[in-house]
Amino acid sequence: MATELQTRPQVQPPTPPTPPRPKPGWPAAVALLVAIGGAIGFVVAYAVDASTAWLGTTMAIVFLGLGVALAYWGRDLSGDDRPEIDRYPIPPEVQIEEREQLAADLHGDVETITRRRFLTTLLVGAAGVAGISQIVLIFSLGPKSRGLGSTSWRSGRRLVTADGQPVSRARLTPGSYVVAFPEGHLEAADSQIVLLRLPSVKPLPGRESWSPDGFFAYSRVCTHAGCAVAQYEDESQVLYCPCHQSTFDLAQGCRPVAGPAGRPLPQLPLALDGADGLVAQRDFLEPVGPGYWNMYA
Amino acid sequence: MPDDNRLMRSLARSFRLPRDRYRKLAGWLDDTTAGDSLIRRELRHIFPDHWSFFLGEIGLYCFIILIATGVFLAFFFVPSSQPVVYQGSYAPLHGTVVSGAYDSVLHISFVVRAGLVIRQVHHWAALVFAMALAIHLFRQFFTGAYRRPRRLNWLIGLTMLLLVILNGVFGYSLPDDLLSGTGLRIAYSITQSVPIIGPNLASLLFDGDWPSSILIARIFPVHIFLVPFAIAGLLGLHLGILWIQRHTQYRGPARTDRRIVGTPLIPHYALRTTGFLLLIAGVLTAMGGLVQINPVWLYGPYRPTDSMTMAQPDWYTGWLEGAVRLMPPWDIHIGFFELPALFWPAAVLPGVLFTFLLAWPWLDALVTGDNELHNVLQAPRDRPGRSAIGVGFIAFVIMLLIAGGDDVFAVLFGWHLPTVVAIFRALVIAVPVLLGLLAWAYWRRRYVAADEGEVVGVTGRTEAS
Repeated sequence: MATELQTRPQVQPPTPPTPPRPKPGWPAAVALLVAIGGAIGFVVAYAVDASTAWLGTTMAIVFLGLGVALAYWGRDLSGDDRPEIDRYPIPPEVQIEEREQLAADLHGDVETITRRRFLTTLLVGAAGVAGISQIVLIFSLGPKSRGLGSTSWRSGRRLVTADGQPVSRARLTPGSYVVAFPEGHLEAADSQIVLLRLPSVKPLPGRESWSPDGFFAYSRVCTHAGCAVAQYEDESQVLYCPCHQSTFDLAQGCRPVAGPAGRPLPQLPLALDGADGLVAQRDFLEPVGPGYWNMYA
Repeated sequence: MPDDNRLMRSLARSFRLPRDRYRKLAGWLDDTTAGDSLIRRELRHIFPDHWSFFLGEIGLYCFIILIATGVFLAFFFVPSSQPVVYQGSYAPLHGTVVSGAYDSVLHISFVVRAGLVIRQVHHWAALVFAMALAIHLFRQFFTGAYRRPRRLNWLIGLTMLLLVILNGVFGYSLPDDLLSGTGLRIAYSITQSVPIIGPNLASLLFDGDWPSSILIARIFPVHIFLVPFAIAGLLGLHLGILWIQRHTQYRGPARTDRRIVGTPLIPHYALRTTGFLLLIAGVLTAMGGLVQINPVWLYGPYRPTDSMTMAQPDWYTGWLEGAVRLMPPWDIHIGFFELPALFWPAAVLPGVLFTFLLAWPWLDALVTGDNELHNVLQAPRDRPGRSAIGVGFIAFVIMLLIAGGDDVFAVLFGWHLPTVVAIFRALVIAVPVLLGLLAWAYWRRRYVAADEGEVVGVTGRTEAS
């Protein structure tokens, strides 16, 4: 095979190559001049604090001018001349001999080390243990002790709005909607609830005492992917999550009726507080937000 | 260097150096490389000519532009979740409590001179980067370039695509606006959905409960240091292997597995590819200047109590968004245990798709029994079956991407949203199958035609490009 390569006739014809037909150089020159103009324009635009559009356009003219010139020039130079060469300095068949030699050398080198079997085993073991031991550094990142299963709601904790004011029963007319938090925990994203007055809605069996005077509170963290269930459609009495279009029916205890959510929004048991306020009876009975493997364990 | 006309001649003359200088240069090269012939040979490295070989280069040049613009942005970005009251020059947000990160991005966009154009070039370059790599990947797929001896480079390339997508997500999370914050919240939920380790893993990666006060600070070094360095390392490996193996080439006269025909590096190819880098820089800066992207001041700062309507992420994660929207609410309960439906479209689906692509060279060799070394490319019609799989794969991802805008379609056409979802669920299966069959039929016919001696497509080329 090696000899075949040597005797193979050269594809390159022996006749002297005809020089490529000269092409006009002025397009490249014009492009370069345009680039210079663009550069001046860019500096001026920068100096006078021109708009983003001016800065971007002048910058683009610099690059495009240079690019067009070089691309044109490169094409022009290559002409029709396409040299060809052997892909490998030596054909693979000859390489096989060298490969044998390489394999033998490698074998020899490795043998020199592994002859001391006990030490080698120990080295591999030590390197492994040393490497793995450094993984503990990851746990500086966490996990922090946390409670996916509980929120900041506690028995008797007052419902306040996002600005910390206690919610007013009187001001919450049927059909209106308010976002509420546990008092003193305005930063607790997992505790955000939507509070509505739905006098016509019948509570679910077993939850008759959770919605005094028709005040219903549901977790506002979507059970699908955790977005805020930010929209309330008064007409159809549904809560709607804009992220993935999960829709929760208020008449059925916020059961999902459309979209990818598979679990109802957990309901917060409420109790009346004084003349005008509301408190939680206790924390949610189930985890709020998206599911995870041991959420019912 | 052909002297074209007077202008060029005079230009060339002014740059022409006396022969002695070249002698000095040659001597310097020889000294530096200890007289190695390698450098001499590689200055004449041959690049085959075909437009499709520029796809990977687009990616390479986007990477360079991303680093240049990214360094500029890093001078001004503040990776802080600490709340500050916005008092900058964008009046509609005056007095709003925002994070330090969001505040600094508005500062870059409105106060830093040329800040917005650089920010927008950075974002556009990231979108084009991922797109160029995806198209580059499928060029390899349809032409069989992944076959021996290029399997390792296929793996490296795919890993880079994965890292580019990941870093794109990190990058657009940094401004801490409502769109990206919501995206991170969803990422938290997806991590949490992983069986057994999910809750702890989410807590580990995202610093405990949602929302964390140090998450932006944690993402920043990963985005500007860890992932770019990984990409740079893999890129070096990718190009090194490419350089040693030399390019594949399409069939043509004198183009065999042993010999390569094309343009030499110095001077022709170097000139052309530098020109190409500048052209890409030109297009991206024009886009950055003229086409608005990610106007975070319109989205507002992230607050866990807000959600955005009609929100679509960047394209390279948009297909996952579509999959998440189409997945039926099939939560699985086993005894006390729960497997949220979210796990399948958001974690399993991308895992399966990428594993399929990673394994493809070996799957292909297993089916065809072809373990030979190849340097000459195939045409799509040489393997109608493979081409059909490729078309189906692309159609599937694009259909998912379109499905990610189901709410927009519902509003646009006034349709009931569950109807739109149902239609997309059917289309996302039907369209890839149909297009795959059509592709198979088309390339099968050309395959037979070529078999009967007709001149078809790439094989029919008789002249050097």
